[in-house]
This record gives sequence, structure tokens and C-alpha cells, in this order.
Amino acid sequence: MYLIEAEGVCLNYPDGTMALRNVDLHIEPGEMIYITGPSGSGKTSLLKLFIGIEFPTDGKLTVLGQPIIRGQASKIRQMRRSIGPVFQDFRLVNGRTAIENVMLGARFLDMSNKKLKENAVIALKKVGLEKKMFSMVEHLSWGQCQRVAIARAIVRKPRLIIADEPTGNLDKDNAINIMELFASLKEENTTVVITTHATHLINNLREGRLIHIESGIIHQERLD
Amino acid sequence: MNNFGYFMKEARTIIKINFMSNILSIVSIGLILFFAAATLSSWWISNQVVEIIEDEAEINVYFAEDIDKKKVEHIINNIETLAGVEEVRLVDENEAYHRMEEILGKEAKVLQYLDDNPFSPYIEVQIDLKSMESVIEGLKNIEGIDQIRDNKEIFDKVRNLSSVLKTLGYIFIVAVGASTLIIISHIIRTGIYENREQINTLILLGAPDGFISFPFIIEGMILTLGGGLLASIILSLTLRYAYSVMTGPLPFIPLPDQKSMVTNLVSMIMLLSAVLGLLGSLFGLRSAKSR
Repeated sequence: MYLIEAEGVCLNYPDGTMALRNVDLHIEPGEMIYITGPSGSGKTSLLKLFIGIEFPTDGKLTVLGQPIIRGQASKIRQMRRSIGPVFQDFRLVNGRTAIENVMLGARFLDMSNKKLKENAVIALKKVGLEKKMFSMVEHLSWGQCQRVAIARAIVRKPRLIIADEPTGNLDKDNAINIMELFASLKEENTTVVITTHATHLINNLREGRLIHIESGIIHQERLD
Repeated sequence: MNNFGYFMKEARTIIKINFMSNILSIVSIGLILFFAAATLSSWWISNQVVEIIEDEAEINVYFAEDIDKKKVEHIINNIETLAGVEEVRLVDENEAYHRMEEILGKEAKVLQYLDDNPFSPYIEVQIDLKSMESVIEGLKNIEGIDQIRDNKEIFDKVRNLSSVLKTLGYIFIVAVGASTLIIISHIIRTGIYENREQINTLILLGAPDGFISFPFIIEGMILTLGGGLLASIILSLTLRYAYSVMTGPLPFIPLPDQKSMVTNLVSMIMLLSAVLGLLGSLFGLRSAKSR
């Protein structure tokens, strides 16, 4: 069974922009997917569809068994609990520490406070931010905020991670570490879908699938 | 309960974001609840007065002081035959004096300044309140009666006052309910607006509505309970002052027990605050969601 299934998916915005055209895509559990393409090509739009922020204007899309259609807000919200999203603008909550933000990612899941705190510390260690766990997020650099957002996504041990430019604000070393972290999640059978401009990082990984989008049309190739 | 600490912390953060607005809301709600409770306590006191007057419904019958004992007994016998009369007894001038001493309490020392006992003997007639008018008509036909004094006029006035205060109390409760709900739902909506980014993030992370709403419900409850506490403090102080003022120059007014009255009113205010806080928050959340 596929984790994400898209058949003939189109996305047209009300202003007439055709963001995605006839997308056919099948993603299996544990797959690593890299989405590349120039700015405005439709990468973020595709991720928005996967999270249920946007809805296909044509075609059929199913994520984690949930059809992405209007009028199913509560079911889609329930589906999101199995996804670890990393937003381009991080969407961290100001006035809270890094660890509080990470814990927020799983507070409403079935997890004890003790377990949640333990997992949050582990997640922050994985992204190399254990020393900053009690810093207010507004006092962190952009790169550090990005890593907090990644820790928040992995703390809930999701079935699917959807990350929009997760290495965009990181230096080379940190970017490699984060990419390796995502690649290591395969062992837990977690599917990772990443949009990125950093093709040089993908070439080093040699595993997963590369999806290139241009003007809303996708082209796929395997890396391994 | 796993997230109770988190919810409390979030509610505190939400309150801190609009700290002055929240403090002013607590003061407004406190004053509104105080006025409602003050009206209710006035009704309570007047109602108590009515009950006491009802229980002690009596008519005092005065006769000419120069008539002999036999004639007084004749008058008493005649009164006893009237329908609605429950008990008839003669109160002599000494008993009348002692009764006044009891009524005046601490102020009874004023009686010491009088050279002679100024009180006249009279006949005390205990009656069924419903028969007051027919008893008065009957008394008018008995020979030897000089003056009939009943408390019907005072009773009617107090009963009217009590009924006005009761109506006012209900109006106040409705007004308090409506205004508190408006204030709280407005504050909650403002809080939601101020925290919209965080709420959107939680929605994108898949948080259920209950998880997102709970801190706002706690905020609403904190505001109304804070207002209720303020109203309770002002009311307790006001009642203490009112009792000290009323028991001095107005010793005839039978006031309810101050402690039990304050306890009952404070319990009522706090319960009302909690209910209004919960409803106001839910209205606020609902209207914010529909927007």
C-alpha cells in the first residue's frame, strides 16, 4: 500500500496560476524523496497538498489513506498527527524555549509528559541543539530555528516527514548532518519528502528518489 | 490531565499578552457582579423582614387608661370571639417598657433619661395575616377600644419594596450574565486573534480543537473568577459596614445573620462567575471559529 498516491493531480490557484499539472506519484513507506526545481515551479504547492493545506482542483490524492478533499477538515487534521512537517518559515512559537517548541509537536499525542520530555531532548541532540534547549526561540539564529523545527517534526516519530527546504538556512556541515539524519529515519520505516535547492547534498546521499518539478510538471529518477 | 500544567502556562501567557485589558476586564466583571450581589442582598434582607413580619403578624389594641380591670377583661373576651384571632393577651406598662429595652439593645440607655414610664398598657392580638382586615373591622365594633395599631401599612411597604428588589435582582442577574458573556467572549476572541499564528501552527500539526481551546477556556474562567473574588471582597466589606450602620440607628430592622449571608452570597457569586466564564469562553471560541 502506498503512503502517498496521486493520480492526475492538478492545482490551480484562484488567480489563474497553474501550480501543478497532471501529477502522478506513488510513494511507498520508508522511501526518501527529494523534490527539486526552480523557485515557483510548484515544490511547496505539492507539499501543501500532502499536508492538506491545499486541495487538488483535479485528480485524486490520498495521503496515509486519507483522501485530500474539502469538507474533511477533522479527518485531515487527524491525518496530520502522523506527519512531521517542517515549514519553510519554521512556524515556531515565540516566547517559548526550544524544548517547549519541540514538545509542542507531540503534546496532544498519546505520550506521557516524561516520555515526551525524553524524546524532545533526544530530538534536540539529533539536530545538535541540546545546549540551546532552554533558549527562547526568538534568541536563536535562523539556522538554529530551522533545526528546532526539524526536532519538532521528528519528536512525534511520524510515519511521514514533509520538509520544505529544511537545509535552506544551514551551513554546509549542519546541512549534511540534517540530510544524514533524514536518511537515517529510513531504518524506522519513516518516509521523508524534502524539497531542496541543494542538489550537491542529494548527490552525496545516493539513495532515494529525485523528483524534479518545472512549471508544475514532474519528472522522476531513482538515485540508487 | 497530562497537559494541565501546559494549559495553565498557556493561559498565563495569553493573559500576559493583553495584561492591561485582562486586568480591566477583571475589575469590570468584579464591579458588575458586586452590583448584582448588592441588589440581591438588599432583596434578601427585605425578604427576611417580610417573613419576620408575617410570622409576627399582630395588632396592638389601646384602651382608655382610666377604665377598670373588669372592663379590660371584657374587651379581651370580645376580641377572642373574632375569627382569625389566634392569641390575645394584656401587656402592662412594665412589660411594654422591658420590651422596648430589648428592642433598643445597646441604645436602651436613652430610656434612663425619662423620669416616668412613658408606655401605656395595651392588648396584643396575634392573628392570621390573611384575616387582618376582617379582624380590624371587628375590633372597630368593640366598645372601649381607643386606638388600633396594626403593622399592615409597614408590612405592605416592605413587601412592595421586597418585590421591587426581587425584580431588580433578576434584571441585574440577566444584565450581569449578558454583559459578562460579552466581555469574556470579546476577550477570548482578542486572545485568539493575538495568538492566531500559534493556533494555525497547532492546526497544521494536527492538534485537536479541545487542545487548542482549553487554554482560552481557562483564561475566561480566570477572568470571571478573578472578578467574582473582587466582587466578594467588596461585598463582604460593604455588608460589614452596612450592618454596623444599620444595627445602630435602626435597631428595629431584623437583619439576617451576617456570616451566613456573606457565605451564601460569596458561594453564589463564585458559582455564577465559573458558569459565566465557561459560557463566555465557549461563545468566544465559537464566534472566532465561525469567523
